[in-house]
Amino acid sequence: MAKGIPYNIALKHYRPQADRPMPRMEFGEELLHKYHPDYIRENCIDLTVGVNAGDPCHRQLAEVLQGDSRIDEADLAGSPEIETDVLVIGGGGAGCAAALEASLAGAKVILATKLRLGDSNTVMAEGGIQASVEKDDTPQKHYEDTLKGAHGELDRKLAAQMVMDGPEVIRWLIQQGMQFELDQYGDLMTRRAGGTSAPRVLYFRDYTGLEMMRVLREAVSNSNIEVLDYSPAVELLSDDSGHCAGAIFSSLKDYKYILVKARSVIVATGGIGRMHLNGFPTSNHFGATGDGLVLAYRLGAHLRDLDIFQYHPSGLAYPPHLAGTLITEGVRSAGAYLLNAGGERFIDELKPRDYVASAIIRECAEGRGVYAGDGKCGIWLDTPSIELREPGIIEKRFPKLLHLGTKCGIDPRKQPMLIYPTLHYQNGGVIIDQDGASSVPGLFCAGEVCGGVHGRNRLMGNSLLDIIAFGRRAGVAAAKRAHGFGRGPKKITIEHLRNFRRELMLANMPLTRKSPLLFPVYAKFDDDTDYDGLRKKLKIGLSNDQD
Amino acid sequence: MSIDSENLISLRINGKDISAPKSHSVIQALWYAGYPRVKGVGCLQGVCGSCRVLVRRAGSTKVTTELGCELLIEEGMDVHFLIYPTPPHQSYQLEDIRSSWEVQAKFHEIFPEAEQCRHCAGCTTTCPKGIDVERGVELASKGRFSEAGELFVECVMCNLCQTACPEMIAPNHVALFSRRVTAYFHIRPSNLINRLEIMRKGGLKVIE
Ligand SMILES: Cc1cc2nc3c(=O)[nH]c(=O)nc-3n(C[C@H](O)[C@H](O)[C@H](O)COP(=O)(O)OP(=O)(O)OC[C@H]3O[C@@H](n4cnc5c(N)ncnc54)[C@H](O)[C@@H]3O)c2cc1C
Ligand code: SF4
Ligand code: SF4
Ligand code: FES
Repeated sequence: MAKGIPYNIALKHYRPQADRPMPRMEFGEELLHKYHPDYIRENCIDLTVGVNAGDPCHRQLAEVLQGDSRIDEADLAGSPEIETDVLVIGGGGAGCAAALEASLAGAKVILATKLRLGDSNTVMAEGGIQASVEKDDTPQKHYEDTLKGAHGELDRKLAAQMVMDGPEVIRWLIQQGMQFELDQYGDLMTRRAGGTSAPRVLYFRDYTGLEMMRVLREAVSNSNIEVLDYSPAVELLSDDSGHCAGAIFSSLKDYKYILVKARSVIVATGGIGRMHLNGFPTSNHFGATGDGLVLAYRLGAHLRDLDIFQYHPSGLAYPPHLAGTLITEGVRSAGAYLLNAGGERFIDELKPRDYVASAIIRECAEGRGVYAGDGKCGIWLDTPSIELREPGIIEKRFPKLLHLGTKCGIDPRKQPMLIYPTLHYQNGGVIIDQDGASSVPGLFCAGEVCGGVHGRNRLMGNSLLDIIAFGRRAGVAAAKRAHGFGRGPKKITIEHLRNFRRELMLANMPLTRKSPLLFPVYAKFDDDTDYDGLRKKLKIGLSNDQD
Repeated sequence: MSIDSENLISLRINGKDISAPKSHSVIQALWYAGYPRVKGVGCLQGVCGSCRVLVRRAGSTKVTTELGCELLIEEGMDVHFLIYPTPPHQSYQLEDIRSSWEVQAKFHEIFPEAEQCRHCAGCTTTCPKGIDVERGVELASKGRFSEAGELFVECVMCNLCQTACPEMIAPNHVALFSRRVTAYFHIRPSNLINRLEIMRKGGLKVIE
């Protein structure tokens, strides 16, 4: 990366100023083609194994999709088995909404999650959730904004369903006990987001996700849903007709495998940020390692848009140990400028995220960034400008930003924060219908693990809406399927893993790469002596297979 | 990251002596020193409450509780991770409270211990978010739910206050109850209700 102006020098030249003119500049697609990380050619390859063979995919994601299973038949012998109607995998917003609805519909529900219930991307969401509730706004406008943000390439049925569900989703959340920011008459307050034609983002301070997640977690804990926490799913189960019939979990509490047989399974495992694609830092939580994509793909579920990801424009770039931490887009919505090291604006701050991120990368690549050390550059997020225009706004509306400032030793009311794009969101994922059904019978998916709702680029606030809208739908549909099931689950197997492994060998893929990842490499899960039990079995399994 | 070796800080985490560069959190320090750490990690941003640690600083006998992802390492610190936050022991459904007139009575049925608070401030001292937890319990016991809930905007449900309470009160769940009933009974936005009404009658369809 080209060097910019050193941090201390740039900071000395920075002057807080309430208003700065917008430079006249026209950008087309070429800004994206030239600077957006999705367009780095050598990092996009074609898949060779599985139902999406021939489709473009990010190289790092392809490695795990075409990796080998962590388990084998030998692991299943002697493992405890439990049965349920609906099994939900993933304890974020989508998973909890699905579990609550399935349970309400009368199904016996087990919700299993990797670590603690609610440790998720949902809890970290700051900016808010979109729903058209203002009088000069309509679902149609919401739909059109979503379509435009996605560059037209989304599943129109899903997007239409999502915007139509918007107001009802908000009502449902309030009935679960979630609070929103209200005006003096008790009406929902709204704000604009990048790419929206009307103020439509509902929020609670800059803690929208925290408020949502603690309410949903409490609702789940107080229901008769059985929660298996600290239990990452390592594989799905199938029945003799190849339908999804449950999943296998490795319990981090007692280092054993557990088999859960289910009539319907809902995968709600969230995103991929912790795969650090293209070496980018990430805003995502620790468990966002793309596991659900791997599990679903091995069972034959169709995926889409595996080559496009969202890099959020405002990830912290300084200090280095907090690199990647998100600063909500709400700050830009409130009017904060983006400034290069020379103190100039260089893009309309409220353009869709992919444009803004690309423009930041361009400024840094062309030497107009601020050099933060360790080869890293960034540009200023001019937080003092909003404070100048509306004193007190940061403390009142962005307490989390102030808290982050404290951790950085920076007062964002007086000093700008250095930012650089951070890997934020997986745009693509498992293809679903309006009920969250994937192409594999019995397998439903909801939330960030799915693709199609946001096409090639997601607007702020549309994901929180997406996860609750489709989480609830998947929950209802999964419970319905379970009811119609007549007798109990059929014979369950992991036959599909055998087939997939055969395909891998035919395609000369190395069987040494194990997936799903479960945890980022730097957490050193695979070296942890606590889990020797889980791994010893793996080794025996492998040697049996090669006999 | 380029590291000056003089800048390494030595401390003890979970009984292991490690050194790591300054401005690392205790979780990052463990990873840096080559130790695995999976349980007790979550958002890495101070909002999920998974990473609870006990801390004793050099030259002090006082033990404090903090969040491991936010706690920066210091020379001579002794840190222990507390994994598996205890799940709540009470159980309630908002739908079982028929009207807002009943909330206070129901509260004391669901949280009978709350009245026994002995104002020892154990909960407040332990809270890594600096919340006046004790006051929240007091307000909720008096039926001032909306006020009680307001104090807990930044609560990450780490359950440390619950662990600290000698009366087995779960202050964070008391607070969350207070917040939830406030929304459930009192948030009735006319802009939302109006929109739902129009849509219920079949208006505002989307043309794809
Ligand atoms: C910092 C940040 C800010 C954001 N701000 C906003 C915003 O303002 N507005 C908005 O609309 N969107 C926002 N987003 C995006 C949005 O929060 C997420 O896309 C959304 O919450 C995803 O929800 P989910 O339920 O699909 O996944 P998650 O909430 O990530 O939940 C997935 C769950 O699955 C679990 N899991 C993963 N793998 C496994 C496995 N193998 N076995 C078992 N469990 C597993 C995880 O541990 C986790 O509990 C933000 C995202 C981030 C990271
Ligand atoms: S109030 Fe209790 S649960 Fe909430 S942050 Fe403080 S100690 Fe943790
Ligand atoms: S720890 Fe328990 S008894 Fe002590 S002040 Fe807090 S709620 Fe009351
Ligand atoms: S890891 Fe979530 S609060 Fe520390």
